[in-house]
Amino acid sequence: MKTLFDKLSNVLRRELPRIKAHPRYLILATLGIAFSYLFFLTLMRDGQPQKLPIAIVDEDGSYFSRRLCHEIEATQGVRVARVYNSHKEARAAMQRQEIYAFLHIPHGTYNDVLAFKAPHVVLYANNAYLLSGTLSYKQLMTICNLAAGAVQREVLRKKGMGEEQIMGLIMPIEIDAHLVGNPMANYQSYLLTTILPGILGLMAILLTVFSIGMESREGTAGEWLAAADGRIGVALVGKLLPYACWFIALQLLGNLVLFGFCQFPMQGHYLTLALCSVLFVLAMMSAGVFLYGLIPQMTNAICFSAFYGILAFSLSGFTYPVSGMARPLQALSVVFPLRQNYLVYVNEALFGLPLSYSYGHLCILVLFLLLPLITNSRIKKQILSHENAA
Amino acid sequence: MKMLHNIQQFLEDLAEVCQAEWGRIFGNTGVLLIFFVAGVGYPLIFNGIYVQENLYDVPVAVVDDARCKESKRFIHKMDATPEIEVRFEAGSMAEAERLMAERKVNGIIHFPSDYGERLAQLETARVGVFCDMSSFLYYKSVFMGANFAMLDEMKQIEFTRYGLTGITGQQANTLVNPVGYDDVKLFVPGGGFTSFLIPALLIMVIQQTLFFGVGMLGGAAREEGTQLASIPPRLRRRHHDRVVLGRTMAYIVLYGALVAIDLFLIPRMFNLPHIAQIGQLTLFLLPFLLSVCFLSITCSSLFRHRESGIVTLVFSSIILLFLTGFAWPQSSMPDPWRWLSYLFPSTHAVQGYVRMNSMGATLHEVSFEYLMLWVLTLLYFATACLSVGTGVRRRPRGKPHRSGAQGK
Repeated sequence: MKTLFDKLSNVLRRELPRIKAHPRYLILATLGIAFSYLFFLTLMRDGQPQKLPIAIVDEDGSYFSRRLCHEIEATQGVRVARVYNSHKEARAAMQRQEIYAFLHIPHGTYNDVLAFKAPHVVLYANNAYLLSGTLSYKQLMTICNLAAGAVQREVLRKKGMGEEQIMGLIMPIEIDAHLVGNPMANYQSYLLTTILPGILGLMAILLTVFSIGMESREGTAGEWLAAADGRIGVALVGKLLPYACWFIALQLLGNLVLFGFCQFPMQGHYLTLALCSVLFVLAMMSAGVFLYGLIPQMTNAICFSAFYGILAFSLSGFTYPVSGMARPLQALSVVFPLRQNYLVYVNEALFGLPLSYSYGHLCILVLFLLLPLITNSRIKKQILSHENAA
Repeated sequence: MKMLHNIQQFLEDLAEVCQAEWGRIFGNTGVLLIFFVAGVGYPLIFNGIYVQENLYDVPVAVVDDARCKESKRFIHKMDATPEIEVRFEAGSMAEAERLMAERKVNGIIHFPSDYGERLAQLETARVGVFCDMSSFLYYKSVFMGANFAMLDEMKQIEFTRYGLTGITGQQANTLVNPVGYDDVKLFVPGGGFTSFLIPALLIMVIQQTLFFGVGMLGGAAREEGTQLASIPPRLRRRHHDRVVLGRTMAYIVLYGALVAIDLFLIPRMFNLPHIAQIGQLTLFLLPFLLSVCFLSITCSSLFRHRESGIVTLVFSSIILLFLTGFAWPQSSMPDPWRWLSYLFPSTHAVQGYVRMNSMGATLHEVSFEYLMLWVLTLLYFATACLSVGTGVRRRPRGKPHRSGAQGK
């Protein structure tokens, strides 16, 4: 009588040489993950886009307009790519995507300032590109406010007021902004903490379905099941264990890179996040087994898991919040482990909340591990029916 | 006479390859799933996910330790902005933080106890704004809402303060607003997340489904050892360009329909920006489709199994999306990545499509992208011919493939 452990080690002993003989897919998946880390970490290395090109339409050609130019040059966020003479030219440049915003200083602005006629400058921003448009708009708005403040200060000084009095007059309220958990509004730590684990999860689910499917495709499924003495659960665990270990190790290494090497903000405990990473990888792999059980045909199962894995990025709600989605989709977001992974990340890294806040999310991930129980018998039946047919 | 015959032969070859390709497509459920279910399904689902352009009335909690009339006025003004809604008046910061931790609010506005006092003494008063950074859309809404209320409040207070120093009337008015500014959001004025993200996603869907579908065809052929079956015997030695063109014809007919649905119909159905002239946009999309077809044919012979393309390259969809520069601007991209991005049709197509359809650019303003798409078309046409050639030559020398234990 073989024990459960014997059966498991039987399957494992069969699986390891198989991986060793055809390491191609595991290597490619690993390279893909490594490339993603390299790509995203270098792409957004500044944290926020710096020196976005903007333009000035300077019809005034005065001391004032030149000073505005200089002030813009002094900011980190934007740079004056060009000075145009007409609104039309600047607009065309925007359509050619050479600039993201421009400031229109009409003729006579400086004279109006001197004559207290309250002139208006106009600020145009490209709203079709959300990030660059909003950032350059925000910068130009700040500069306009500063310019107005500078004029006020000059006038009040001439009236013989002291600096303190002036400050109180022109700056009655100030906002203290606290960006909880991400003080620099860093895009890198905001996006990558969900995108990169998500990519790994995507690889894990695809390789799970692929490795199970290949047994059927190559006609070795019967032999595989036999190694587990006909216990499909043992066969699956034994087969997927090496993959699970590998992906978990990669995910933990990824956490180390993000929170250790890159020093992304982390208010809470690494251990909770690590636990979540382990459960996340296992949940994705379980979802893969479940999907294969639902659709025991490799091509279609792979298509659906790719579909599911890609949708996870949208439905995790890390860019566009789930609360803004249509009702049925809000409910649907629960079936994506990446959503739970993201929520635990927010609790831990951004808010540093006690573990009790994350229990629910971790429990949902554990529930994913039970999914294969529903469909395992179907996979077994499929294997046996092929066995008999052959 | 000879020339006429050649042309006739050419067309016959194309038709034969094209027909054989349709046979392969409609005989492969995986490919049909990718082409039609994913090709139409994704755009529909994306439109369901990103229903609102902006987040409105993001819930915030207020901690009013000052309890003066100025703070009350500020709170009312914030509540009146479209961006935020004051949902809770918390008794203390601790309580407000608990509300934020439970995700009941996405921001906290804190008025310190000396708020009213400082205003009364003509000093600068401070307001604390705590933003939930779990999504930058929360941050944007909370910050903007608080900021608009503050600017309005500031003008009002400034006006009274000038009055106290003896500056009144018109003079005070101009001093409060010495240089005003109007802001104009050009292109998609009411736009936000939806009209920004979905056009880029639509282009990606077209490119990626075509790529994976054709890749799956190539993998299936290699798996079953039928790479040659779809190539007429007379085209195996030479005229590989006809094989490429014939196949491309098959894809273009199918994808013409998909492009019509995804890039023309869906923006109209869901009221996304769609201001480009149909003729111009069609002209622009032609080299996009061609280059994607040729790129797909080039890569399809690399796949050993029908699924291997998907397994190894699905993650590239996310990377290519970022390479298009629609989220992270091209001007801030490190050079090597920008050069890499030029190799993919999606980069130029997203840039051009968004600018034509959302910003009203004409072909003239997107001439760089248009030119690049034609360059890629030529480049990938050449590589596709080479790829078909090597595929044909490799086959006879390779060991005969198992005809698939249960693939049938």
